[in-house]
Amino acid sequence: MKLDRRTFLTASLGLAVGASTTALLNRPKYRVTRRRPRSRVAILRAESYSHNLESILHSGLELFHLDLRGKTVLLKPNLVDYIAGNHINTHPLLVCAAVECFRRLGAKNLLVGEGPGHQRDTELVLLESGFSEELRQLKVPFVDLNRDELAATPLLATYTGMNRIWLPRTVLEADFVVSMPKVKTHHWSGVTLSMKNMFGVVPGAKYGWPKNILHWRGIQESILDVCATVPVHFVIADAIVAMEGNGPLNGHPRPLNRIVLADDPVAADATCARLMGLDPTRITHVRIGARFLGNVSTERIDQFAEAVCVPANAFEMVPEFQDLRVTDSPERQP
Amino acid sequence: MHDIQELNHVCVQDLIDRQLPEGGWSFSSPTTQSAIEPTALALLALPSSSVRERDAAVRFLLRSQTANGSWPVFSGDDAGGSGLTGLVFFALNRCCAQEMVTNRAVQWLIESRGWESHWLWKWKFRTSDRHVRFDPDKFGWPWMPETGSWVVPTAYSLLALKHARGISQQDLAQLRIRRGVEMLYDRICPEGGWNAGNGVVYGFPLAPHADATALALLSLSSEPPNNFITASVDWLERRAETCFAPWSLAWTILALDAFGRPTVLLTDRLSSVVDNAEVNDCATLAVVSLALRSAARDNAFRVAHET
Repeated sequence: MKLDRRTFLTASLGLAVGASTTALLNRPKYRVTRRRPRSRVAILRAESYSHNLESILHSGLELFHLDLRGKTVLLKPNLVDYIAGNHINTHPLLVCAAVECFRRLGAKNLLVGEGPGHQRDTELVLLESGFSEELRQLKVPFVDLNRDELAATPLLATYTGMNRIWLPRTVLEADFVVSMPKVKTHHWSGVTLSMKNMFGVVPGAKYGWPKNILHWRGIQESILDVCATVPVHFVIADAIVAMEGNGPLNGHPRPLNRIVLADDPVAADATCARLMGLDPTRITHVRIGARFLGNVSTERIDQFAEAVCVPANAFEMVPEFQDLRVTDSPERQP
Repeated sequence: MHDIQELNHVCVQDLIDRQLPEGGWSFSSPTTQSAIEPTALALLALPSSSVRERDAAVRFLLRSQTANGSWPVFSGDDAGGSGLTGLVFFALNRCCAQEMVTNRAVQWLIESRGWESHWLWKWKFRTSDRHVRFDPDKFGWPWMPETGSWVVPTAYSLLALKHARGISQQDLAQLRIRRGVEMLYDRICPEGGWNAGNGVVYGFPLAPHADATALALLSLSSEPPNNFITASVDWLERRAETCFAPWSLAWTILALDAFGRPTVLLTDRLSSVVDNAEVNDCATLAVVSLALRSAARDNAFRVAHET
């Protein structure tokens, strides 16, 4: 074949454009790497919501050797709404146990903060779910993150295509953020665990109820952007009574009798997913989060206390997320 | 315990004490970032005798209006506009300060719409995404641009447009009012009342919220009576029996009062709640004051029912 100058130049230009496009598409969408070589996860047995939770939690936290002296610790439970009889929120007794434990660990300031995603009246959620009274007794302040002072913050990942987000100052100024999710299925994102729980730091006053911009920009993408930008330093997941089916509001209670602790949100969510009988690598935000936010592989997770027990029956899921369920697992309980 | 008017006086004084130097209010006391919603609600709550404070609030709101006629959420916010635009316009209108802002604000309200009204999203919601039960031809207003319609911003916008005076685009405004009203009826919960947006998701009926229901009812109070409205007022009355949260309880009182339902016991309960605990949130404090004032036949939102 004769290669004249014009053909050569055209072909070269085509190759250059192709290579640039490929490089652009393959460029990482994150500007931060939080994944460490190894992560630590502890699964604690807790039969019920009781005042014994503090001792259970304290023994679990000792496994992590946390140094919180002089630090401002923000506990971020999952308070979406209040529906009588539905286990949709992180239980107040678990949050109170965490408050007591972190006080014992030397935290300088302790705050509980949340911006409910469905209900505008945060005080109503606190009152009716029993939080107000428990927090009042512990003299721990609650911050409504939906109505906090806001600061524009550059996003450290760009899966949504947004460049920045307005975030509450309370979150930005905290030294140690603890995500305290309720372990639930979710009809838009498959699951709502420690990473999805961070939607609650996005202020409703700016973005609406529910945090609508995040839904239109893609829930999985938004989870990744928010978690890249707001580091989760620790996870305490409420899996004592979890939720399956049409979560996050209208599913069925599913007792797992466990609390999951972790120093890595991806490892925490991967472990919770396994406890639910789900394959974490099929959950989009967990799988992609494993590139830069934490570890999903059991080979990179140091497991403490109890081992992962995959349930005989995986959690019920809405039809779109049936494929998350593990259908055949050698680890499965009889 | 204070009597109701005395307590309202305390609330108003508390609001005045918390007004920021630039004329606005933040949501919570220690913060100094003026926010639009508490400011607009405080403006509605301040009595006409608070001339200096009202003037400062009006000046702050007028300064905050963006070039496109909308209002942001707080000082320093992006200029795209927010679902609070209707509330501010309504508040300025009630305080006879609307002339300077009318045309641009109305233009923005007429043009702003939930994205489900876009042909591409309509097609998506009619073909591939049918988990949420709603008709995308019936659209209202979003919380922020490029998102879907929700109940509260739609209610605020309806209140604004229904009471705008001397606007040049009356026909277009009427069209948007009708679409917004249709949207509220379309998204109603099966038992009456409104959640944040849709009434049914994944075939499952959502529970109404008291504050969203009250606001929707206030925006519909000039509509002819119908089963949707009656069911929602009934639901709100039942919900009120167990509601002790000041924000929801205050909105409930304002809505039930606008529909001529008895509110004496609820007002007593609200008084008792706020008399025994400090209300830290300025928006809540303002709505509480408005609800207490409605006990003296002075409901700032009842104008909707009378026109």
